Amino acid sequence: MMLRVVLYIFIVTFSLGLGNLWLPTPVLGADEAVDFLSDDFYSEDAESYLFNDPLEPVNRIVFIFNDTLFIWVMEPVATFYSNVVPGDLRGCFDSFFRNLQEPVRFVNTLLQGRFSDSLDVLGRFVINSTLGIYGLADAAGRDFGIAPIEATLGETLENWGVGDGFYLVIPLFGPSTFREITGDVVDAMGMTPYYSWTDDLWVASTIYVGKETNKLSLHLGEYEEWTKLLFDPYVSFRNAYFQYRRTARDRSRGAEYRLKAIEDVSPAE
Amino acid sequence: MIRKFAPFVVFMGLILFLSCPSSTNAATPPDPTEQLRPFMDRIVSILTDPELMGDENCIQRRDKVMKVASERFDFDEMSKRVLGKEWRKLNDDEKKHFVALFTKLLEHAYIGKLEDYSKQKVVFKGQRIKNNRAQVMTDVVDKDVVISVSYILLLDSSVWKVYDIVVEGVSLVRNYMEQFKGILRKNGYAILLKQVEDKVSELEQGIGKPCPVDISEKKDA
Repeated sequence: MMLRVVLYIFIVTFSLGLGNLWLPTPVLGADEAVDFLSDDFYSEDAESYLFNDPLEPVNRIVFIFNDTLFIWVMEPVATFYSNVVPGDLRGCFDSFFRNLQEPVRFVNTLLQGRFSDSLDVLGRFVINSTLGIYGLADAAGRDFGIAPIEATLGETLENWGVGDGFYLVIPLFGPSTFREITGDVVDAMGMTPYYSWTDDLWVASTIYVGKETNKLSLHLGEYEEWTKLLFDPYVSFRNAYFQYRRTARDRSRGAEYRLKAIEDVSPAE
Repeated sequence: MIRKFAPFVVFMGLILFLSCPSSTNAATPPDPTEQLRPFMDRIVSILTDPELMGDENCIQRRDKVMKVASERFDFDEMSKRVLGKEWRKLNDDEKKHFVALFTKLLEHAYIGKLEDYSKQKVVFKGQRIKNNRAQVMTDVVDKDVVISVSYILLLDSSVWKVYDIVVEGVSLVRNYMEQFKGILRKNGYAILLKQVEDKVSELEQGIGKPCPVDISEKKDA
């Protein structure tokens, strides 16, 4: 019950247009891919990285909270877990959860008009659920060469012209924006099967924590390796979030392949 | 998000090594991928050299790697870009000082980590050339995980030199630039410089230890 209520609150808030209050639709055209060879990319006020962070003071507090929790609780737990459960098995669990989310991706690829991706997602789901034994192995990727595809409701909404709203650091979840977290909540609660198995928030949370702990156990130590090189981790993660998401979306739109392979080649000197 | 950054580290180093000099025709730009490939091989050969293996040779191995790296990494260009407009305000000595510091930062931050990654497979996916710049796209394959890593290069008299590394779409230079921009705006260059100096000396302390902690066992787990 609780979950449904949260879900409806999100949908209603969203339909009120709150997502658009702070930032208009994406600044770059859908066809324009990030070009690392262009000077614009390194210009200090590059438009592609405009974002709104009106809640920065609050976000920074949540960021520190997440960071502390990660280092002192989540990682030790995941380390213990990784010592107890063999790596192969943890890889299987990861694939299992990923496979259960394929229907969500399928719907989102359809909503975005990426029909050939829809076929790939469907193919992956069918192959992995059968040959991959309930999704425990990624047979589609390994034996059939069908690469994983990402598609979220946040991306669908972006395609429909809904702006990011503003940047948010979510407790226990990490960087997001108003639009993205709304999409993620709807994706998770509305369509991902393992959250609708139960109406009990505790059970759903346990599944989420279990899934994330498992994922983390496959990437131990990487967070500290990275953060110790940073001067302002909050800014670094915010920037990385927007950069990563932008390129991932270029890829799913096929935009990066439209960049010319060779332009204006001038003599070496 | 976290896992996207680790390979960064690795590749930065790898790239550095890639760029051993190769003679090229001055009239047409040399092929960036063809220059990058032997450089990568050279890094791997240092890392897998039996005479340099083992913890006791760690520092020597790193020095060797760094020496090769400096031939092919354009630390000047990187420093210039991470500082943005601030760069133009510096005099030559200040520029030199900053480049030296930033190079150190990259050295300690990234080169030491290369070894964990030397066992991964690198697949060259393609390249783009635009005037005197190029992007070489690779996939780094580690078991089932594929990470896309792009090298951004600048042509410096027939040698392609790396000035940025893009891991899973995240540009290293752009990321540092964003952090520095905030510090410059709030506190100014002097404070930023101090922070970089502190960070470098913090990392240098770590080098006193016999060798970087081996995380490969965790990765295999």
